[in-house]
Amino acid sequence: MDTFLTYTALGLVVGAIYAIAASGLVLTYTTSGIFNFAHGAQAMIGAFTFYQARVVWELPTWLALVVVLGVLGPGMGWLLHTLIMRRLRDTEIVTRVVVTVAVLLGLVSLSQWVWNPQEGRVPPMLFGADSTVDLLGVTLRYHQVLCVVIAAAIAVALWWLFNRTRIGVLMRAAVDDPELLKLSGHDPDRISASAWMIGSTLAVLAGVLVTPVMGGTLEANALTLLVVDAFAAALFGRLRSIPLTFVGAVVLGLGSTYLVGYAPAEWTWVGNFQRALPMVVLFVVLLLLPHERLRGTATRSRERYQTPPLPRAALWAVACVIGLVAFGGLISEARVGTLLVGLSFAVIALSVVLLTGYAGELNLAPLGFAAVATLVAYHVGSDATAADPRLSLTGLVAGVAVAAITGALVALPALRLRGLYLALATLAFSGIVSAMLLRDTTPRTLFGHTFVIFPNGNILMPPLEVGPLDLADATTFLWVLSTLFATLGLGVVALRNSSYGRRLAAMKDSPAAAAMLGQRLMVLKLGVFALSTGIAGLGGIFMSMAVVSVSAETFGFTVSLSLVMLTVVCGIGYVSGALVAGLIAGAGITSLQLVLGDIALTHPEYRDTFDIVHHLLLVATALVGIGVANGPSGFLHDVFERQRGLARVPFVRWGGAAVQVALLLAAYAGLLGPALLLFVSVVLWSLLPAVATAWAPDRARPLPLELEGITTPNTLALRQRIDRELRIETEAGHARA
Amino acid sequence: MPVLETHGVTVTFGGNVALDDVSIAVRPGEVTGLIGPNGAGKTTLFNVITGMQPVTSGGVRFQDRDVTRWSPGRRGRAGMARTFQRLELFLSLSVRDNVRVAGDIVRSNTRRRFDVAARTEQVLARTGLLDVADLDVSALPTGRARVVEVARALMTEPVLLLLDEPASGQTESESETFAELLLEIAGAGTAVCLVEHDLPLVMQTCTTIHVLDHGRLIASGTPAEVQASPAVIEAYIGQEATA
Repeated sequence: MDTFLTYTALGLVVGAIYAIAASGLVLTYTTSGIFNFAHGAQAMIGAFTFYQARVVWELPTWLALVVVLGVLGPGMGWLLHTLIMRRLRDTEIVTRVVVTVAVLLGLVSLSQWVWNPQEGRVPPMLFGADSTVDLLGVTLRYHQVLCVVIAAAIAVALWWLFNRTRIGVLMRAAVDDPELLKLSGHDPDRISASAWMIGSTLAVLAGVLVTPVMGGTLEANALTLLVVDAFAAALFGRLRSIPLTFVGAVVLGLGSTYLVGYAPAEWTWVGNFQRALPMVVLFVVLLLLPHERLRGTATRSRERYQTPPLPRAALWAVACVIGLVAFGGLISEARVGTLLVGLSFAVIALSVVLLTGYAGELNLAPLGFAAVATLVAYHVGSDATAADPRLSLTGLVAGVAVAAITGALVALPALRLRGLYLALATLAFSGIVSAMLLRDTTPRTLFGHTFVIFPNGNILMPPLEVGPLDLADATTFLWVLSTLFATLGLGVVALRNSSYGRRLAAMKDSPAAAAMLGQRLMVLKLGVFALSTGIAGLGGIFMSMAVVSVSAETFGFTVSLSLVMLTVVCGIGYVSGALVAGLIAGAGITSLQLVLGDIALTHPEYRDTFDIVHHLLLVATALVGIGVANGPSGFLHDVFERQRGLARVPFVRWGGAAVQVALLLAAYAGLLGPALLLFVSVVLWSLLPAVATAWAPDRARPLPLELEGITTPNTLALRQRIDRELRIETEAGHARA
Repeated sequence: MPVLETHGVTVTFGGNVALDDVSIAVRPGEVTGLIGPNGAGKTTLFNVITGMQPVTSGGVRFQDRDVTRWSPGRRGRAGMARTFQRLELFLSLSVRDNVRVAGDIVRSNTRRRFDVAARTEQVLARTGLLDVADLDVSALPTGRARVVEVARALMTEPVLLLLDEPASGQTESESETFAELLLEIAGAGTAVCLVEHDLPLVMQTCTTIHVLDHGRLIASGTPAEVQASPAVIEAYIGQEATA
């Protein structure tokens, strides 16, 4: 009985923390319509700052709390709202998700810059670990009791806020119709800002409380994933109801302590399962949530993409293979390895283009599926006892197939719901994969075979060998992988231009209209999700072969999130977006760091500077992601818009291509290095549109007057011109006359 | 024999009664009008008919089958098509592809094989959209965009076509051409149900008109009967005018 009470009390404490975190999440979501993926990361920053203030600066506890809860929490919320979130009106859910994901990544890299992750930090309990109280025979620390008291107070306060105060009612109105709120004399921005300030303070509070309760040291990634736990709790209340969210939090908390307390000792997987529990619960709740009604969305989003016709895409595919292989010939074999990693990332990013760019659904954990594919391919397709093992084609096919099936299974519970739920389901899936599969290092018996799922937490992926093609050779690997990417890319473009692709676009743009025309949305979504996770799996297997030695970190959720974010930044509607994003995520950042590292070795006096640049690079990537709020179509979209001008002047375009080939030949002759070649090529192609305009000024057909100001800026000069042409006498006109 | 019948459809939102015991019928080969002041419940009734709004009580029969519990997709596959008052176009597709994708969907759902591209061109020609077929659909003015929705619905060769304010945003000449199109569609045997504020268009095209006010059916009949109904005049013009 005593143990039962102990587990119940501890479960309530854990539940209380989930509740605090979850209520902040619900608050910002209901008031701004933006699901804050960075909520856990904010909690993480709060936890580290509290540690810094209390332990490193040795401030008294009350002062440290004031710094964290009074300054950091509200300040962070206000900044997030003012600088970022209020620019997200009229954007697709993809853009909103990516922006908060970018904030998450930025906060994580910032924290690793300031607080070296190699050091262990044990945060103190409030009131110390020795102040205890006995309740019904259970000894609890003041800190634990405080968690429950705070959670209860927050529950009451939030209920009161939403139901009994003016600002609370306004907050609820702000998400439904900000324009209407403005008309009735309120400032939706100010209301939403206060919601973000409260939400962010709640996140920070959860961060300060959580680690001493869970035990262990401050861990940036684990704290960041608190968002998934909080989300699981919030899902009980469909992301809207605060009381149900608290119920969910308590269920989760009790579930996790009972699991540890009462599971039989021979269940060796329970420890890992406990970590995964919130994510498993999340799936169960998703399955039980009622079907969402179809309703017209009728919003005009700002994202725009063009798909090239197939012949042009084929031309680009060939150019892409030749270009990549030619560039591969210029760099050392070790750097070719980096390029291969980048290209396999590009294949994974292609799965994101298909799924998100074309079908409007979200997968935040492509690398989770890559991990599944890698494990299956490794166990099915390679003989670990061989001296020089190779991966068989069977292994590759099995890996891809299992990734596709897993994708369908993961998507199934969330398909009836909005895209956001699918995004969260995939993030939870990635959590389950890292918590259970990639930590599973004990032997298991399945179908009469005994094997270790992830031996020693690290596997050496053998290269693929199919007939005469042996990927142990880097050049062959580069040929095969670039051809694979080009073929898949071409396939994806062909798909977009097909009946299937049009149906995907219809589903993405207006699910209501597509359903009314008779489209079975579930079937379409399930199919495209399986196809996309299959591609992610394929890319994942190649990535593992390129990396050779893979561990749990290879498939970490931050890697997934960075890749998805970069794909959106580059242009999620474009195959080239996948290529550039993959190369940046898989090769670009690594190469830059290698180059910087080399310089730092030869010039040790600049080491500190390079260290800063190294961290800045990571933070800057996140900043670029936040910038998506301003240009949600991606930067390649703008590049293509400019390059379109070249079509009028083929002379300049072919001239540019000739110069490019000459540059490549010069590089082969040793006249310029690969880095310089890349730089000059980028400069060349960004200057060409200007050259084209200078050569043949744009004599485009003038826009009909009635369309002016709709697609072009609506300026005063334009309005005056319209007045003039319609012969409307205006005051300004009188003044001129 | 009506293609569609609603029986005592009632929809309440909390304490608000959006539809109160509404029974209407729509016959093939005719244009049936559904009119009434703003907020009368016209679009809600459309949503009930197409399955996008569950009923509190009452039922919907389509082609002699009870479809009350059917999903919108299933009703669509059975031969219903609709347009939306707040446009629901596929904004990333061209005008042609907006129409064509409806054919793609029908073809993917049935064993019937037909030339989607050819039917697309026919429908574009019939609705007068050929000159803008290659434009981005987001570039069209509202009036033409509504015609794209009609064309898209026609691609499914519907038994019942529900049009939610198709003429709002159309110019006078566009609206005249549109009236001819409506009569032609109905003439080919399709049952057309029209929600519209453009009363001349309604009077010109409709055989039967149902009038809704505050969720209740206040009159049903021919255009002449409806125009003469005191309840209708009161709903539209107000009490004082009739006094």
